[in-house]
Amino acid sequence: METPLTSTINKIETLRKCAFLDGLKETILNDLAARAETLRVASGEAIITRGEAGSTMYFIISGSARVHDGEVTWANIEKGEVFGEMAVLDSEVRSATVTTQSDCLLLSIERDVFYDALASDSGAFKAVLHAVLQREREIVQEIKTRSTKLLSYQKEMEIGRRIQADFLPASVPEIDNWEVAAWFEAAREVAGDFYDIFKLKTSSHIAIVIGDVCDKGVGAALFMTLFRSLIRASALYGYTDSAMADTVPDDTSGGAASVLLNSIMTTNRYIATTHAGSSMFASVFFGLLNPETGKLTYVNAGHEAPIIFRSGGEAEILEITGGVIGLFPAARYTVETVTLNEGDLIFTYTDGVNEAKNLAGEQFSDARILETAAPEAIGTESFLKIMLDGVRKFRGEAEQSDDITMLALKYLPSDPSI
Amino acid sequence: MATLNIMVGQEQGNVPVTVLRVEGDIDAASHKTLQDKASELIDEGASNILLDLGGVNYMGSAGFRALHAISNKLGADDDSGLSKSSHLKLLNPTDAVSRVIKTLGFDVYLDIYQDRDEAINAF
Repeated sequence: METPLTSTINKIETLRKCAFLDGLKETILNDLAARAETLRVASGEAIITRGEAGSTMYFIISGSARVHDGEVTWANIEKGEVFGEMAVLDSEVRSATVTTQSDCLLLSIERDVFYDALASDSGAFKAVLHAVLQREREIVQEIKTRSTKLLSYQKEMEIGRRIQADFLPASVPEIDNWEVAAWFEAAREVAGDFYDIFKLKTSSHIAIVIGDVCDKGVGAALFMTLFRSLIRASALYGYTDSAMADTVPDDTSGGAASVLLNSIMTTNRYIATTHAGSSMFASVFFGLLNPETGKLTYVNAGHEAPIIFRSGGEAEILEITGGVIGLFPAARYTVETVTLNEGDLIFTYTDGVNEAKNLAGEQFSDARILETAAPEAIGTESFLKIMLDGVRKFRGEAEQSDDITMLALKYLPSDPSI
Repeated sequence: MATLNIMVGQEQGNVPVTVLRVEGDIDAASHKTLQDKASELIDEGASNILLDLGGVNYMGSAGFRALHAISNKLGADDDSGLSKSSHLKLLNPTDAVSRVIKTLGFDVYLDIYQDRDEAINAF
């Protein structure tokens, strides 16, 4: 027995209201309505699936559905709208998946029935063609709107990229008897990696910072500017309070240890309390180098261990002295010292180097860094170039999935033969 | 999309401990499953969580962010002077996950156990 919703009158009414059938004569609508099937579909069911063959078009009498490809929604459709008509008209496979978003009542019409009904009136095809073209115009307009939006997003990202580049040193400082080189290559427009190198105002120390903010894209980039600026500001302009000095009872580093702890702990505490809800963290290596003695005082907060390549050929790694920063306000860090001698080179990097993947999914690895390194290379710039070439060659056709940042310093031998 | 299976158990040590046995990769796609499940359990009254990571072969930064979010929700020790969470502990991480924990220094923030009973009684 027919319910009021499925009566022929109701079917005709549904078809008449559908823009796709605009311009069809009443007799054709009556014919289609009489031969259309009614079906109920529960919420969450895929009625048609992208890529599959199909010969049925559907009209929504009640309820709503989502036109999509996987997670990407193209349109939400509801009462009075049609779907599945493209495959009926061109006999190609379904171009999208349609999934019900609520319980739906639908009218379905088969391809043969549709063409058969239209055949009685030569003007009918013209009307359908008009409706199809009308829809195409709407799609073209939609694409235009989306392209314009996309272009403006791209412009914004480009502005973001340029502003972010300002957060990296424009050039590396000149340091007597030292050579410095840096490399930075973002995997996307904006990056979570950063490095910094600057002279302290209160002593002759050179600050060396390399960091990697978790995650990727805009979120990581915003936090990168925050981490980098807090570290630099607290190191340059921060004060050392007595509580902090107590944590370094035997500070023989000329105040370097206090500056380091103050900077790292202030940055950590600020982000861990002010941005606790974001759970954003950074791994950071922060060292203060006395360029006259080669003594490096440092904190390694959960960062890839920098490597010192001794002029004699040994490699020494600077393990972590604390966890990543930005999460736990009460985190504590230990300060370590190491001395670089003439001819020694220190290489700091982010995980875009050791975790660079080839197509087989293998990682470049710490071992390959050691194999690739040529510390005897003429200088830091050629050292970084050899490392970068090694990573790129290993990666092959695989995409660069993470930012690559490297910073190297070499204590130039006073006797060049060393 | 990566799927994460989480089995929940309840244990009684010195205090009640909710044990979450996690299986799968904890990455950008799946970390929310873990975070939401833990959040739901905390809302229902869980105040001590032991995460059994024996079935996790990969944990990316999103996973570590989830650990922080869970630890935070369980109650921070901000002003206590402690840097370690006393309400969230980890059990039996695989070698691959242990390596990342060590690189990031997360063992500074969270206690890690190899033995289940020892872990439960540590709360």
